[in-house]
Amino acid sequence: MVLLEVRNVVKSFGGLRALQDVSLSVAKGEIRAVIGPNGAGKSTFFNVMTGLLKPDSGDVVFEGEPITGMPPHRIIRKGIGRSFQITNIFPRMSVFENVQVALFSHHRTGNNPLSLARKSTRVGEEALALLDQVGLAEKYDSSASVLSHGDQKRLEIAISLASRPKLLMLDEPTAGMSRFESRETVALLQRISREQGLTLIFTEHDMDIVFAISEKIMVLQQGAVIADGTPAEIKANPEVRKAYLGEEITES
Amino acid sequence: MDLSFLTVQVLSALRQAAFLFLISSGLTLIFGVLNILNFAHGALYMLGAYFVYALTLHLTGPAGFLIAILAAPLGVALIATVIETGLLRRIYMQEEIYQLLLTYALVLIIDDLAKIVFGPEFKSIPMPGMLSGSVTLFGGTVPVYTLLVVVLAPAVALILWYLLYRTKTGKVVRATSSDREMADALGINMSALFTLVFAFGAVLAGLGGALAGPVRTVFPGVGTEVIIESFVVVVIGGLGNLWGALIGSILIGSLETIGIIVFPEFEMSLIYLLMVAVLVVRPWGLFGRPLKVKALSEKNLAMEAQEISPVHFSVHPLVRWAPLLLLLLVPLFAGRFYQYLLTQIFIASLMAIAFNLLLGTTGLLSFGQAAFFGVGAYTVGLLLTKGGFGTLPALLLAPVVTAVVAGVIGFFCVRLSGVHFAMLTLAFGQLIFTVAYKWYGLTGGDNGIQGIPVKTIPLGGLGALDLGSNRAMYYFVLAVVWLSVELLRRFRSSPFGATLKAIRENGQRASFLGVNIHLYRWTAFVVAGAFTGLAGGLFAMMEKSISPEIIHWSKSSEPVFMTIIGGIYTFAGPAVGAVVYVILNSYLVAWTEKWALVLGLVLLTLVLLLPGGVVGFVNEKARQTLGKLRCIRKWSFSKSATS
Repeated sequence: MVLLEVRNVVKSFGGLRALQDVSLSVAKGEIRAVIGPNGAGKSTFFNVMTGLLKPDSGDVVFEGEPITGMPPHRIIRKGIGRSFQITNIFPRMSVFENVQVALFSHHRTGNNPLSLARKSTRVGEEALALLDQVGLAEKYDSSASVLSHGDQKRLEIAISLASRPKLLMLDEPTAGMSRFESRETVALLQRISREQGLTLIFTEHDMDIVFAISEKIMVLQQGAVIADGTPAEIKANPEVRKAYLGEEITES
Repeated sequence: MDLSFLTVQVLSALRQAAFLFLISSGLTLIFGVLNILNFAHGALYMLGAYFVYALTLHLTGPAGFLIAILAAPLGVALIATVIETGLLRRIYMQEEIYQLLLTYALVLIIDDLAKIVFGPEFKSIPMPGMLSGSVTLFGGTVPVYTLLVVVLAPAVALILWYLLYRTKTGKVVRATSSDREMADALGINMSALFTLVFAFGAVLAGLGGALAGPVRTVFPGVGTEVIIESFVVVVIGGLGNLWGALIGSILIGSLETIGIIVFPEFEMSLIYLLMVAVLVVRPWGLFGRPLKVKALSEKNLAMEAQEISPVHFSVHPLVRWAPLLLLLLVPLFAGRFYQYLLTQIFIASLMAIAFNLLLGTTGLLSFGQAAFFGVGAYTVGLLLTKGGFGTLPALLLAPVVTAVVAGVIGFFCVRLSGVHFAMLTLAFGQLIFTVAYKWYGLTGGDNGIQGIPVKTIPLGGLGALDLGSNRAMYYFVLAVVWLSVELLRRFRSSPFGATLKAIRENGQRASFLGVNIHLYRWTAFVVAGAFTGLAGGLFAMMEKSISPEIIHWSKSSEPVFMTIIGGIYTFAGPAVGAVVYVILNSYLVAWTEKWALVLGLVLLTLVLLLPGGVVGFVNEKARQTLGKLRCIRKWSFSKSATS
């Protein structure tokens, strides 16, 4: 079943065409990588899909419903979660509160100004369960700003998961992590995807990770799709080799 | 309209524009590079004028005058250098509101120092004979000095253009202005550049003051009028943009001249109306761009962690109710004066706590809260004097009317944040002020409303509540304020409040949780406005007379002070700040004329040494020491939380 369908998206900044006629189709439960050299348009593509940017033309369809040009907060409500390349958390709130506030938003309890936040036990238990899932349950009381980089990334994943997304979009989930942290994070993502049938779309520079976990890979170059297929197909694709991957493929 | 009239008016408009440009070009330059909206820029302008005054006392003749005009800006630059290296530099890592407040403290200090040195009276600076005459141009009589100014300002603009676009340092300044992080990464010596730009901006302000001094009068506080006008100019033109400052100056200069001729009553309203109109259509000004969203890089996060920590222990409910018990007993042994003083404090506390829902919780600095206070006060005043309403219905309508006004204003403001938000709320506030000040038919204009009749409140079968005595008013205000404060506390501890905090910490991330951040901010704005209006209504009932001064923007700075004194990230902080502020105000004014100086120094000390405020400091210490003792922790604090 197709979960997300992107059709012929075009986006320019001034004279620069950041995305030229990009199309993508992602099935439910799939793990899909979007790769490409720096400036290939990966972040722009993510921003278009999550409503931060409005495409010049083309459609984004999620579960059969067009979401093109909707503001981020409405797109999130449709079931698309997002984590960012730069760690994007609420720094001066506790780890627990970071997830709690995401749950308030998901359950729409944030609209009630007269109930008490700490009295909401259901949200509290859910928050702890989510923190447990990413391995941060013990640190629930510390300020998010003092966490290590890897922990902050994991916290961000917990925040994104709080809105129970059907599709999670991760912009370089392992950026800036040590090798050990990266491996842990990747294992975590794979596990969550498997357990919950969560669809993942992610960008990544580390090719080992890309080929280890993705089921399909899309390659962008200068805003255009130059290849889209299984890891094996991508490895064999001469254009990809020439344009981008080259030695890295031959090495592995 | 004949040619001579037109000539005179055009030149008058251009002269006005020239002064505005000299001041606002420096202001916008400093903002572009240092990212500080320098409140003290008007004070620097004033110093420029005073220096010319002081120098011309000793140096006479045209040559002396010329030397004075040239030397004064350099003196101002010297003072600016001391300010930048000694004070501003210490808080570049703080949030922008602290920089704004530090420069505001400097305004208070410099104004009072000027009063001490030069005296409180108006000073006029004599012009040498050859400049004080006038010439006939197209049949109109034009002062020579006007021509001089109109020629000099474009010359300064040209020099500025040359320095910025043709010299190496100028290029560095422009690069820093457009991308500070990149400039930092390129290894530009930031601290030297900041000092240079701040001093250079001060030269421009000083020159503006020096040139304007002889045609306008000089007095302590003149800078405050000038700075608001300059804010309007730079905000309309686009903060940090020099072209914007130029076009903005010409626009405002012309509008002021036209306004005086066509709508003399509403000249000032026109300016704020223009500012509001521009910001509604182009939130970043005519030539401005959206300020870069602060990227939360790892370095940045570490910096934030060093800042004021919003983590604290929330106090046990019993500890919270103790003050109420005490306050209920006070009238039994305290006299009428103290009851009146405390009633004032209650009202100020409500205003400050409501304000901090915006600043501390949501991260929005509103500089227009006085307008909501005023709307509430005038609602009660008008309903009681002209509407024949009962006391309670009038008081209950105050927050309702204010909420409607805040709803409209908030609709436009909440799209903005940071300095832009502060400036737009300032403009709306001043717009309401000018209307209240001039609309004699409804508001009584600058006379205000006197003798507001506060009728007894019928209590059904239980008789009636007479608020005639100080004690009755004391209990009534205490009850209303305590109830409101408890509501506000509930509001802040709710999931809604938690979401507001999340928006403060990271608006983009919050919107990616599915939060409609504009709607949340708007709601906070309306709630803060409504409770501020209620405080205003109580004020009108207590004082029984109101005047438009309570709407003036300088009144809007009061809740800011109270919040900073008490603690921005604490709930009770603003109330503690209100206690300190009102007591300082009542006693210092009786004890010394230099109330502004003392207040300025207090503010300066707090910003530099105790940015978390008194309550924030106590909280931090309590957490460190008392938290170790389990029994005390259990009794006096509930679980740790952030605010």
